[in-house]
Amino acid sequence: MRIRTLLAASCALAAIPTAAPTAWAQDKALAITIYADDLALVQDKRPIDVSGGRQRIEFAGVSAQIRPETVSLSSNGVTIVEQNFDFDLLTPAKLMEKAVGSVVTIVRVNPGTGQETREQAEVLATNNGVVLKIGDRIEVLRDDGLPVRVIFDKVPENLRSKPTLSVTVDGDRRGSRPATLSYLTSGLGWRADYVALYDDASSKIDVQGWVTLTNSSGTTYDNAETTLVAGSPLRAGQYGGQQYGRPQRPQLVQAGTETGDRERLGDFYLYPLAERTTIANMQTKQVSFLDVHGVPAKHGYEFRNYWMGTQEEPQSAKTVYKFTTGSAEGLGDQLPAGILRFYMRDKQGDPQFIGESTIDHTPMGSTLSLSTGDAFDVKVKPVVEKRERLSSRRWRTTMKYTLTNASPRAVTVALQQDGLWGDTRIQSETMRSTRPNADMAEWQVNVPANGTAEVTVVFDSSY
Amino acid sequence: MRSAHPRRLVLAVLAVLASQAVAHAQDLTASAPVDVSVTVYRDPFRDEGGFDLDNLNGFALVTETRRVVLTPGQHRLRFEGVADGIEPASAIVTGLPTGVIEKNRDAALLSPSALVDAAQAQQGRVLVSRTTPDGTTTRREGTIRSSADGGVVFETPDGVEALRCSGLAESFAFESSRTGLSAQPTLSVVTRVNRRIEATIQLSYLARGFDWAADYVVSLSPDGKKLDVGGWITLANGNGMGFPNARVQIVAGKLNRENGEIEPIDFGRPILARCWPRGSTSDTPEPVYIERAFPLGFDGGYYLADGVVMPAPMAARAAMESRDEVVVTGSKMAEQEDLGDLKLYRVPDRSTVASRQAKQVRLLDSFAVPVTRIYSVNNYANNTTDFQPMGVILRTQNDRANNLGIPLPSGRVAVFETAGNGATTRRLLAGETNLRDLAVNEKTEIELTGGPAVQARQTLESRERTDPPPPGLKGQTIRTGARFNSVNRVEITNAHPFPIQAEVNVYLNGGDELVRADREAEQEDGHPIFRVTVPANESVEFRYQTVSYN
Repeated sequence: MRIRTLLAASCALAAIPTAAPTAWAQDKALAITIYADDLALVQDKRPIDVSGGRQRIEFAGVSAQIRPETVSLSSNGVTIVEQNFDFDLLTPAKLMEKAVGSVVTIVRVNPGTGQETREQAEVLATNNGVVLKIGDRIEVLRDDGLPVRVIFDKVPENLRSKPTLSVTVDGDRRGSRPATLSYLTSGLGWRADYVALYDDASSKIDVQGWVTLTNSSGTTYDNAETTLVAGSPLRAGQYGGQQYGRPQRPQLVQAGTETGDRERLGDFYLYPLAERTTIANMQTKQVSFLDVHGVPAKHGYEFRNYWMGTQEEPQSAKTVYKFTTGSAEGLGDQLPAGILRFYMRDKQGDPQFIGESTIDHTPMGSTLSLSTGDAFDVKVKPVVEKRERLSSRRWRTTMKYTLTNASPRAVTVALQQDGLWGDTRIQSETMRSTRPNADMAEWQVNVPANGTAEVTVVFDSSY
Repeated sequence: MRSAHPRRLVLAVLAVLASQAVAHAQDLTASAPVDVSVTVYRDPFRDEGGFDLDNLNGFALVTETRRVVLTPGQHRLRFEGVADGIEPASAIVTGLPTGVIEKNRDAALLSPSALVDAAQAQQGRVLVSRTTPDGTTTRREGTIRSSADGGVVFETPDGVEALRCSGLAESFAFESSRTGLSAQPTLSVVTRVNRRIEATIQLSYLARGFDWAADYVVSLSPDGKKLDVGGWITLANGNGMGFPNARVQIVAGKLNRENGEIEPIDFGRPILARCWPRGSTSDTPEPVYIERAFPLGFDGGYYLADGVVMPAPMAARAAMESRDEVVVTGSKMAEQEDLGDLKLYRVPDRSTVASRQAKQVRLLDSFAVPVTRIYSVNNYANNTTDFQPMGVILRTQNDRANNLGIPLPSGRVAVFETAGNGATTRRLLAGETNLRDLAVNEKTEIELTGGPAVQARQTLESRERTDPPPPGLKGQTIRTGARFNSVNRVEITNAHPFPIQAEVNVYLNGGDELVRADREAEQEDGHPIFRVTVPANESVEFRYQTVSYN
C-alpha cells in the first residue's frame, strides 16, 4: 500500500536519471521468526527489477523498528554497493528548511475580500522565522499575521513520511529476479498463555495453551509464514540474567527429562503456526498450540514462615496446584514460558477465575507446583513460645504453629519453617519433619474439617 | 453504544482502510451479548481500605453469550464492545464447533490520527477545505504526504503545502468507505466452517479497571455490650463499557496476579498542526496556533466522565444512599458460596454494571453480637514511656454463638456509638478502622484509638547489672553476656465512672525473661500479658521484673 506512495514519488522524480529508485515489488512472501524477548527475524522474498548497472532500490513496508545494521539482501547476480537508512522525516519545518535557496509560490489572501494575490518568493532563511525575497524586497513570512499560503513545487527527495531503507546495487543484466531481504527487528514478541480449568470433584485439569503474539513494530506483516522460538538467544549487549526475578517459591519441583516431538533449533523448541497469518500493527494475536483434558492435578496448601518469628495475626496458607508435564498422566508437552490462569466452576456451573501464575520454559516430564493465591479458610499462626539463651551463640527456640481450617473438608498443609541458619537442629517435635534443605524444615499437617491442628517444635541453634 | 451503526459513529468521515487480517476471510459481527456475567475481583495489592474511583486497580472476569450465524467458509468473527480494559491474552471463546484458528485484538481505534495515517499510507484522496476570513470556502482534492512528528504535509494540484501554516482555516474530509477500524474495542476470532451453523458463543476475558470493597458499619448498643454489624459491597466499573442486565458476582480473598503488561488500546496520538518557525519583527504576541483537541488519553488509568463522585468516606455513608452516582440495589443480601479457596458473592438479581459507576449491594446484617470492650497497650520491657491513651478493642469471635459465623472479607469498618439519652440521643462516629479477611471461627477484633479517659504509663524503676562487672573502662571490654535485672512499673488510670478491663502486652527481646511480677502474667502469642480490671475513677499500679542480656 505504501509502495504506491513511493511509486508516485519515483515517477515525480523520473526526470533526475541517477536518483530514480526502484520500488520493491508487491507480491511478497514473508517469513517471520519471533523470539520470546522482543526480537524477530523477518525474511522478505520478492522479485526485483534489475536495470543492469547501478540502481537504488527502496524498501517500503519494512519494520519501523528495523535494526538497519542487520539488513542483508541477496539475489543472483546482484552486488550490493551500499545500504542506507534515511530517517529525515517530512514535516512542515523540514520542508521549509530544505526550500532555502529555492523559489516557492506565496498566495496572499485579503481578509476583507478573500481575494488572492500570487507571487514567487525565494526562501532566504528559516532561523526563528521565515525570511523571503520577493522581487527586490525582503519580507518576513506572515509578519503582519495575515493569512499567507506557501506552496512548494515538490517534496525534497530524501524527506519521507517514514524512515526508509534503501540499497544501492549493481546488477549484471536487466530483468526481474527473486531477491530475499532479511533483517532483525524489535517490536515483535510472543509468550504463552494457558487456561487451566480445575474440576474439584475429579481433581483434574483441562489445559489449553495459546501463543500470544504482539506487534508494536509500527508495521503490518501481511500473510506471513510465522515461526515462534521458545527460548531466548542472548544478543550482544545483553547479560545472561536468567535467574533474575524468579519467584521465591520454587515452582519447578522436578525438571523433566522427556523429549517432545516438536521441531528444535539448537536448544530451543520451534512453534510454527499452521497457517500463514497477517500480523497487524498494534495487534495481539493468539493461536492455539495445546489442548489437553483430564490431567490429574493435586490441590494442596503451603505455608512458609520465613524466620523463627511470631505472626500476631493468622496468615493464610497458599493454595497450590501440582501437576506434571509428562506424557503419562500429564500435559505431555514442553511448555513455553508464560502465564497460566486457573479457573473453577461455581455452583451454577460457570467458570470463574481463581488466580494465575507465571511459568518458566518447562521441559516435558516436569512436575510443576503453582500457587494461585491465599486460601481464605486455611490459616497458620506461628508463635515463638519461648526463646531461651543457652549461651551468647546458642539459642533454644520453641515454636508453636496453630493451623485452622474453616472449610467443611479436611486439608493437608505443607508447613515450612525457613531461616534455620547456622547449625539448627530439631530437639523435639510433635510430628515428624523432613528437611528439604539445611535452612528449612517441613511438616505435612492434616487439619480436620472446621478444625484446628497444632505443631510444637523446639529448635536448638548454634551460630 | 453496542448497537450503534458504524455510519453514525463517524458521520461521513470514514477512512479507506483495507484491513484484511486473513485474506479471503469474511467479516462477520456477532450479535450484541444476550447474556452477560461480570465477576469483580478486588485489587490484590490494595490494603483493607477503600478504592480510588479514578484509579481502579482491580479487575473482572466478563463472560458474554452472543449469537452468530455462520455460512460455509472462513470468517473473521468480530465481538464489538468488549471492555476497554480487556487483557486480550486472557480471552476464551467457546461454542464454535470447529474451534478457533486465531484470536485477534486490534488496539488501534478509529481516531483522527488513525484517519490521517490511513489516508497517507494508502495514498487515499482527501478533500482539503479552506475557509478565508470573509467566509468563502474552497475545496480541493489532494493527498496526504506525511504526518510525521506532529505536522501534516499535503499535496494538491496547486503544489505541496503544510496544514494550517497559512493562517487560514483548513481541514480534511476523508473518503467515505469501508473501514477496518472500530470505534470500540473489538476482539475477533478466525474460524472456518463447512456448513451453515447457528452458534451460541461464550466469550470470556479478564478486564482491568474494576474494583470492589467491603464496608462495615458497626453500631454499639448504649450499654456497650452488643453491636449490630451491617456490611456493604461497593463495586465499581471504570471502563467505558457498561454491562446491562448482567449476572454480577464478586470474589473475596487474595489471589495471585502476575503484573503482566497489557497491550494498551491505541486511542491515536493527537494531530498537531506543527509549522515552520514563525518569527516576527514585532514583539506583539503571535496568534495562537490552532491545535486539535487531544483524544481521550489512555495511560493505564481510567478517565472518568465529569460529575462522577468518589464514594463518600464512611462517616457520610449514611447519607450516601441518596446520591445518584452510587446505585444501591435494595437490601437484598448477596449470596455467598465457596469458590475453591476463595469466597464468591452473588448479587441476588440481575443488575446493570454501568460504565463509570459505583454500585452497592448488601453483604450482611448481623444483630446483637456480644462484644467485650478491652483497653489495650503494647509495652516494650525495660523502657520508660509517658502517659498515653490506651487503645480500644471490641473483641468477639466470628461464630454462630456470637450471631456471626460468616466469612468477613477485608474492608473498612466505621463504628458508631450512642451519645446522650432520651430525646437528645444521637448516633455518632466513634472511630474507623480496617478488618482483614476473617474466616469463620476466627477471633475478631475491631481496634479503635482510645480517648483520653484511660491512660497508661510504664516507668523503668531500676536496672542493675548482676554478673561480675568488666574490668574498668580501659582494655578490651567484652560486653556480650552482661546480665541485667530490671524493674518496670506500670500505671493505668481510669477516668470513667465505670470499671474497665485493660490488657498490657509486654514484649521482651529474645532470650530475656520475665521472672517476677506483682500480679499473675498470662502468656499469649508468645509474650506475657497482664489482664487488669481498673475500678471506676481509680488507678491501678503493678511492677514486673525481667532478666535481660546485652
